[in-house]
Amino acid sequence: MSLENIVNETKAYYCLECGKCTGSCPISRVNKGYSPRLTVEKALLGFDKELLADGGIWSCMTCNLCKDRCPSNVDYTKFIRYARAEALKTGYTGNCTHGGVLSSLMRIMGNPNLKQDRLGWVSDNLKISEKGDILYFTGCLPYFETLFKDIGVNSLDIARSTVKILNRIGIKPVVMPDERCCGHDLFWTGDLENFEKIAKLNVGLIRGTGAKKVIFSCPECYRTFKQDYSEYVDMDFELVHISEFLAEKIDEGKIDFGSLEEDVTYQDPCRLGRHLGVYDPPRKVISSIQGIGLIEMEHSRERSICCGTSTWTNCDRFSEQIQKERLKEAKAAADTLITACPKCQIHLSCAMKSKTPIDEVKIKDFSVLVASAMGLGDDP
Amino acid sequence: MDPKIVAFCCNWCSYAGADLAGVSRMQYPPNVRIIKVMCSGRVEPSFILRAFEVGIDGVLITGCHIGDCHYVSGNLRAEDRVKMAKELMKTLGLEEQRLRLEWISASEGEKFASVIKEFVEDLKSVGPNPLGKGEASCP
Amino acid sequence: MVDDVLVIGGGVAGIQASIDLAGRGLKVYLVERFPSIGGKMAQLDKTFPTGDCSICILAPKMMECFSHENIDVLTHAEVKGVSGNAGDFRVKILKKPRYVDEEKCTGCGDCVSACPYINLPDEFDMALRSRGNIFIPFLQAVPRVVMVDREHCVKCGNCQVICDAGAIDLYQKPEEIEIHVGAIIVACGFDSFDPSGIKEYGYGRYKNVITALEYERLVCASGPTGGHLDRPSDKKTPNSIAFIQCVGSRDVNHNPYCSSVCCMHATKEAILAKEHYPSMENYIFYTDMRAFGKGFQEYVDRAKNEYEVRYIRSKPGEITEDKETKNPVIWYDDTVTRQVKRLEVGLVVLCTALVPSKGIKELADVLGVELDKNRFFKIADPLYAPLDSSREGILVCGYCQGPKDIPEAVTQAKGAAARAAEVLACLGA
Repeated sequence: MSLENIVNETKAYYCLECGKCTGSCPISRVNKGYSPRLTVEKALLGFDKELLADGGIWSCMTCNLCKDRCPSNVDYTKFIRYARAEALKTGYTGNCTHGGVLSSLMRIMGNPNLKQDRLGWVSDNLKISEKGDILYFTGCLPYFETLFKDIGVNSLDIARSTVKILNRIGIKPVVMPDERCCGHDLFWTGDLENFEKIAKLNVGLIRGTGAKKVIFSCPECYRTFKQDYSEYVDMDFELVHISEFLAEKIDEGKIDFGSLEEDVTYQDPCRLGRHLGVYDPPRKVISSIQGIGLIEMEHSRERSICCGTSTWTNCDRFSEQIQKERLKEAKAAADTLITACPKCQIHLSCAMKSKTPIDEVKIKDFSVLVASAMGLGDDP
Repeated sequence: MDPKIVAFCCNWCSYAGADLAGVSRMQYPPNVRIIKVMCSGRVEPSFILRAFEVGIDGVLITGCHIGDCHYVSGNLRAEDRVKMAKELMKTLGLEEQRLRLEWISASEGEKFASVIKEFVEDLKSVGPNPLGKGEASCP
Repeated sequence: MVDDVLVIGGGVAGIQASIDLAGRGLKVYLVERFPSIGGKMAQLDKTFPTGDCSICILAPKMMECFSHENIDVLTHAEVKGVSGNAGDFRVKILKKPRYVDEEKCTGCGDCVSACPYINLPDEFDMALRSRGNIFIPFLQAVPRVVMVDREHCVKCGNCQVICDAGAIDLYQKPEEIEIHVGAIIVACGFDSFDPSGIKEYGYGRYKNVITALEYERLVCASGPTGGHLDRPSDKKTPNSIAFIQCVGSRDVNHNPYCSSVCCMHATKEAILAKEHYPSMENYIFYTDMRAFGKGFQEYVDRAKNEYEVRYIRSKPGEITEDKETKNPVIWYDDTVTRQVKRLEVGLVVLCTALVPSKGIKELADVLGVELDKNRFFKIADPLYAPLDSSREGILVCGYCQGPKDIPEAVTQAKGAAARAAEVLACLGA
């Protein structure tokens, strides 16, 4: 898509240059060289080459904070996505984090000849099935487990907890041994060719199980299926995030919580919150747990701040600054931070391990918290 | 089947070992492309996965023997990283034998040649990388 | 065929239209929803660009209107039904009970001090002051008659006991009257947009973030603080004030239009702060400076040069709060220097959008006239019939047909009065 088309598609020509985006942007606040307003201005003034070569387009966390506040409804997040796809074609790319291992993994998963063996984590006490109505989409958790154990994040606990919770309410979810990454990060870094392959593979695999409802514990997978797959592939199953699913079950009286004496605060993942508008279900579930105190951070819900980096690109000292600020906010609210996104957990835990230490905040995943409140926490 | 191998050789021991194999005219199969790295510890899991992604059948990482590392502990790091890469490969469904870590000193030209021979035979029995698209090429 | 006229809305436009019509010898019914006439202008401290005391120039007009023999002022009343055509409208008006006999009440205020319940937010003073269950709408209210808030009243009877005039009737019933008029002028004005939906500015969450109308009351000598700029958190005078323009206006998520008066009223408010407190630092965050009227640019220049008001071209991204001092902190992109900056001030004033008044849709339905896409009254033709609504015999003037300032609203009111007389003359009344 040419820059001119990008401007038209995202209605960037309505930009008033009022600076509300840049004044809102968590990155601009720490990185003086980054400004959404000036990025859009480059496109409007026809500085195409400068824009595509600008490393800043890879710094955007696509958290939607500016998009939601823009008085002219300029979709900056979309603008960045299109600009990245265009930059990629021109040969520019962001700085892949972790040496690019995650991007490599995602591209590998676009290969139809791949036969994965993802279910190593399913221990005997977890009941899963091969075919059925309800499917649990685990996302990249098995890979995250390998890559981020060293910073003390056990991502597979999320998967185990989710299955345990579902088992307790009488559901034996389908979990697929060869499910692919949802392709979220490829989509947002402009690799649409591989994204399309992944979307088709995933939907094909899910169809094969006969599932009517797919449950996600990762907001990125959820958003990608819900909003981005439809452009490439038809889907005939219902999509739901575990927090929404559980909130519904609470209404139906199907969940019994034990009590958990703890004060917690909740980090709204940007995909779940601002992208999809799911603010209340996770809060409802958390506050249904007896004894738990849910204390909001200074920035919560619509104003929530992103975990500092996304799409495994351009993680730098500015990301760390954002993460630490966020952790300080969390600490001011409670000792435990609950997040419903495995990546928030990884990024914030990583910041906690940085060289200049900050006050310890326990970071727990939503499903893990719920499982322990249901008394399902301790068995392996 | 003619397996394609990428070998990462460290600057101080293994590359010199491979060099010795060469100048000593030792015979080994021509299936390997050598990439010199300063230390085996430099090889990240991403390098390994990238090789498999583009269709390479086997990845060999060679370094100084434990205790001999020019950077004191780089080869210990290489061990950790290979362990992590193997775990990722297991989940991906790629055979463990496709990734090999060997300690080869500058005087072990013969060992280098025999490792390559062995690795090629191993890979032949494992079969081609399912991700291969014929000729390996970067996307 | 009658030549009486109904004016809906007792703000400055409605008052002016009524006076003009009455001066021509026509009988006017002025219906106002609030218990006093005066409208939003009565709430303002000063007017721009002249700096006149708002209530001082309005009050004589309010009195003139109320005491005019040709004008029947119906406060605390609403139009409930309209039938017929131009020259022959039958209008149903609901006179809501104020539980006080307007004829008997002298406005002495004895009952006000007798009421034991004094913790209700005062509407006129933007809830910055509390009032009792029985109250006079505001100091200069016309008519100066008390009214009972029956929703909260416990009927203790203290007020009845103390009232020498015997004016209080706690069992007063609503009354519906029907009038017969030839033309209707609508001048129902505007309301201030509620900025609590714009979460990033923290209105409602941070005490020291207030709206411009609240600020007008704070700085007004007859306001709740007697004109002392006591900020809500600690009742102390702040050292600095930031005014933020276009809050909810020029914003497609809320109101896409320009509210037309905020650049100027912010300038005025900043000047007032500086006049009250010479050491005050004032900042105005604007999107585009729209000083388009007579004397406006000169006014802004004076604010900059004589009153040291600092104008910053930026729409702030977010307001946070310093937990200890309760000072609002503004995060903004200075679009001139291209830097993201942080500014801590003592008080933030949000210059909110001005929106069509609450209930305009219901009123439009009753009148059978159309609204435009921003819910202002649609006008028949912007060039040749700028005061006619979409229905013959019904005229619209003032802010309810589109953003404008006081002089323009008054001009329109005078035009609407003349137009109403013209319509009636054409119909042969």
